[in-house]
Amino acid sequence: MLTLPVVDALALDGSVSRLLKPDALMQTRNGDSHRLPRFFYQVDSWHDALETQLTPHFGLWELMDVDLHEAAPLRLFPRYVPCAVTALAAALELFRLEVGSTVRIAANGGYRSPTHRGSRSGSPHCWGTAANIYAIGGEPLDTEEQIGRYAAVARRLLPFAWVRPYGHDLGEADDHLHLDLGYLTSIPNGISEHHHGGPAHE
Amino acid sequence: MRRAEHLQATLASRAGEIAAGLGDGALGISVFDYLSGFAWALNGDRWFHAASTIKIAILVGLFDAIERERFTLDSRLHVRNRFLGALDGQPFRVDAGRDADDDVHAAIGKTMRMGELARHMIVRSSNLAANLLLDLVGVEETRAALAARGVDGVDVRRGVEDERAFATGLNNHVTPNGVVALLRAIRDGRAFSAASSTAMIDILMDQEFAGGIVPGLPDAIRAVARVAHKTGDISTVSHDAGLVFLPGRPPYVIAILVTSSADASTRTGALAAVSGLVYDAVAAAGEAA
Repeated sequence: MLTLPVVDALALDGSVSRLLKPDALMQTRNGDSHRLPRFFYQVDSWHDALETQLTPHFGLWELMDVDLHEAAPLRLFPRYVPCAVTALAAALELFRLEVGSTVRIAANGGYRSPTHRGSRSGSPHCWGTAANIYAIGGEPLDTEEQIGRYAAVARRLLPFAWVRPYGHDLGEADDHLHLDLGYLTSIPNGISEHHHGGPAHE
Repeated sequence: MRRAEHLQATLASRAGEIAAGLGDGALGISVFDYLSGFAWALNGDRWFHAASTIKIAILVGLFDAIERERFTLDSRLHVRNRFLGALDGQPFRVDAGRDADDDVHAAIGKTMRMGELARHMIVRSSNLAANLLLDLVGVEETRAALAARGVDGVDVRRGVEDERAFATGLNNHVTPNGVVALLRAIRDGRAFSAASSTAMIDILMDQEFAGGIVPGLPDAIRAVARVAHKTGDISTVSHDAGLVFLPGRPPYVIAILVTSSADASTRTGALAAVSGLVYDAVAAAGEAA
């Protein structure tokens, strides 16, 4: 059982909340609007991230590693990861079991905030529901053949997921396998959506 | 004084002979001695393909960005081998097989600290680190950093291994005088904090490639000299440029640029020969001063 505190980002300090943009509408390139997540797991230290196992093969740290393109306040602990990251980990676990080898998630390739400089409009990464897989086992995914082979596995195994096609243009990928679950949000049991102050646990 | 003048004349005549020995190529030299003020150049304003000496300029751009508090040496950057070409914006990668450094390629997908990337770019001439840093800092920002320090003769246009840009002649270029001005900006801490100046020199000091400056020094001097330098080699180019620190005196700055279709050993031999001649002239000028 996950023991991480769940927080309502609307109740977080403004310096963090304005970067996470909880409940704000984010527009995709197509003009569709989606509401950003409001409930986040609070991660107090990198040690906690390393110690928190979401599934047998995926630790939380793998899905929250970002670089300097994330605003400095969001790189300091405590850090926040949308609760739907658990659904992503579950999907990745199925994929991992199928391919039978380590699935490596790139930095900036798990959750990143909507204010991360690499977050394009409406990126599911801002929901914590997308992963950029840069290698499987020791095999880097940087050719059409490799990306296509594993994309086929993902599409067969996870028909509800979106897998980007190989290519060099927007909406395509040529140095990783991108898969996402769409604009999924999660509210763990025991959390009230009416709560507006302090920890979200009731 | 007479000895100094004689050795400077020898430098000029011997450098001409070495240049003639390069056949279809060219030799560029620029020297500045902080002790005596001795300054001398051969083809000082001639443009050469920069090869990896451009990484000194990228280092300056990086530290300029640090001075501006865009990030710190401890900031982490995603190591991704994907860049957009300067010519057409199409993606390209740095070929690991042509890169002198494996460590940065081994970190693809992960993050590395800016300081680590800077070291790999200079010390082991990592092309991947160079492109990551230039991509982050920006070509225009790097050019502005050089201009703000009065450095002419260093023309930063793009990252390295951009083959389509190379094929159309869209390349980084330097002049011998430009490289010396760049190294002087580092040593003088021109618009840099003392900490940044020291950090850049320390990185250059840890150079792992021999180049031509160090091998060209007399044996007794080589044993005590500390050289903060950067080499540059491509198929028809061999360069070496750096600050030569000798005990009991301020450093001298030297840039030796060679382009020639002759084999690499001929070019490297020219670098070493020039380095020895320059040392003799600088030492004599220093004694006279």
